Amino acid sequence: MIIKDNEEIFSEELKSERFFIQVKRSFAIAKKDLKIYYNKGPVVIQGFLFPLILFFAFTVGRNIIPIYLISGLMAMVMFMTSTSIGPVVFPWETRSKTLERLIACPISIKTILLGNIWSSFIFGCVFSIVPLLLGILFFGLWASINILIIILGIIVASLAFSSFSLILSVPPTDMPANTMILTILIKFPILLLTPIFMPIHAAPYGIVSPLTYYTDIINVGLGESSAFGPHGLLLDFCILILFGLGFTFLAFVLHGKTLQKRFRG
Amino acid sequence: MMKIEAIEVKNLSKHFFPSMKERKRIRMQQEGSEKGTKNNIIQAVNNINFSVKQGEIFGFLGPNGAGKTTTIRMLTGVLKPTNGSISIYGGNIWKHPIEVKQILGHVPEEANVYMDLTGMQNLYLIGKLYGLSKSERVNRAEQLLKQFELFEKGNLKAKKYSKGMKQRLLLCMALMSNPKILFLDEPTSGLDVKSSRIIKKLIKEYNENGMTIFITTHDMDVANELCHRIAIINQGKIISLDTPDNLKKLTQEYLAIDCHFIDTVNVNEIKELHSIIEVQQNNSLYHIIVKDINVALIELVDFIKTNDLNVKQVSTNEPKLEDAFLKIIERGVEN
Repeated sequence: MIIKDNEEIFSEELKSERFFIQVKRSFAIAKKDLKIYYNKGPVVIQGFLFPLILFFAFTVGRNIIPIYLISGLMAMVMFMTSTSIGPVVFPWETRSKTLERLIACPISIKTILLGNIWSSFIFGCVFSIVPLLLGILFFGLWASINILIIILGIIVASLAFSSFSLILSVPPTDMPANTMILTILIKFPILLLTPIFMPIHAAPYGIVSPLTYYTDIINVGLGESSAFGPHGLLLDFCILILFGLGFTFLAFVLHGKTLQKRFRG
Repeated sequence: MMKIEAIEVKNLSKHFFPSMKERKRIRMQQEGSEKGTKNNIIQAVNNINFSVKQGEIFGFLGPNGAGKTTTIRMLTGVLKPTNGSISIYGGNIWKHPIEVKQILGHVPEEANVYMDLTGMQNLYLIGKLYGLSKSERVNRAEQLLKQFELFEKGNLKAKKYSKGMKQRLLLCMALMSNPKILFLDEPTSGLDVKSSRIIKKLIKEYNENGMTIFITTHDMDVANELCHRIAIINQGKIISLDTPDNLKKLTQEYLAIDCHFIDTVNVNEIKELHSIIEVQQNNSLYHIIVKDINVALIELVDFIKTNDLNVKQVSTNEPKLEDAFLKIIERGVEN
């Protein structure tokens, strides 16, 4: 017994049970995030307006083949939408004092972060499907498509970028605008480094951007061959999984360190 | 039967390192430095000890910035103490946060409900986070909304609620899991009479059913009416801990004159009278603490005559808890 002499007061679950209970509670956090944040200014700007504006900026007046057009649009929408909620939630909830309410509940900071990842993940997945449907509808990409690769790619990339977005809300500010500046400063260079709307080998520096590997997965899913050789697809998935796990771990550690600074004054 | 300790606090301290803004402010206030700013540290809570028995309503009183909210945040596992220990029914909230928080309910100082969710959705969310089943969530939420007279507005977004309604919703959220200990940070602060009454009535009811309640408040009537024991905290230290009646005895050598003036009177002019100890003004009511009632009344009548004032009503009373509180705080500052 962890807490001696008070069996009737405290209920204690096994470690494995506790893990599943916390995961279940993180779904409640995710549901709350989706209900509350989908229409908040920074989410709308970064999740809808930026991809739309950037799409036109990148494509108007250029002769781009349909596969690169759709994979580029999917990559951009995925990256922008799955990283739009994460940076907003913590500063927003610090300011509205609802974070204090959550921390006082029987959940850990990891549960809250996991909830944020789920909500960003769902957001990213749903909006990535839109350009895919457009591609199928207008460019007849249906014939060459490998739906399994695309779905797996969307899931893995959405989880990876969602966990990455949590790093952007580590600074213990209660001003969403502050994290927005940091977000733009980090997200835009990544986007500009990624060879979207063009063949990957045309921009060799693109290998430093994780988004390149997602773009490669979508290219393969749409009928192209991988830019990284015969095992390119495996490499793409491995890099995205490592990227996601690394940033999840980093988010857990860094948020754990800055959390206390949010409850002052 | 011996009552079990629900909360036991030993040598609890919390200090903060000031932010850039606070450092500037501290530098400006350096001469009148009150709340330990040695070595650029803000000592919010300084080595406090107390225990709360099961089934008790324990009041935590103090002026603004005394350390009440920091203490309640440490007790609820929101803030980590710098030193000392907190035991909740023998469990350490920092070693076993999930298990201990499961038996706590918390109403923070500011109305922090989710404004974009309805009252019902706010309650369901908390219910899920405390692991209630769907039927438990629905039944409990309905029961609480009815109890707190919010049922009709349950499907309205919280941003459409008045302050009093938000505060009642916060209390419902804290009570969703039927906690063993309820922490209330200024539960009636700035509320309308109706909300305040509902909250006070239900706090009493829940306590009568065995719930331990830890309450911080500025409202002396709330403290006097509800609390079994009261700790007074100032500048991060507990300077008095006793029952409301015993605290009031500290001012037993004094009496109070409540005087309703029709005209506006300068408080400082009354304070200048020889036999007057303290004066508190609340609109037209002047609550005057005196040592010798006979001398004070003669002086007061002279004052009224001299200034040609109109008086509506005069009565003599026992000093209130508020008088004891002010006396203890003043004594603490002098010490």
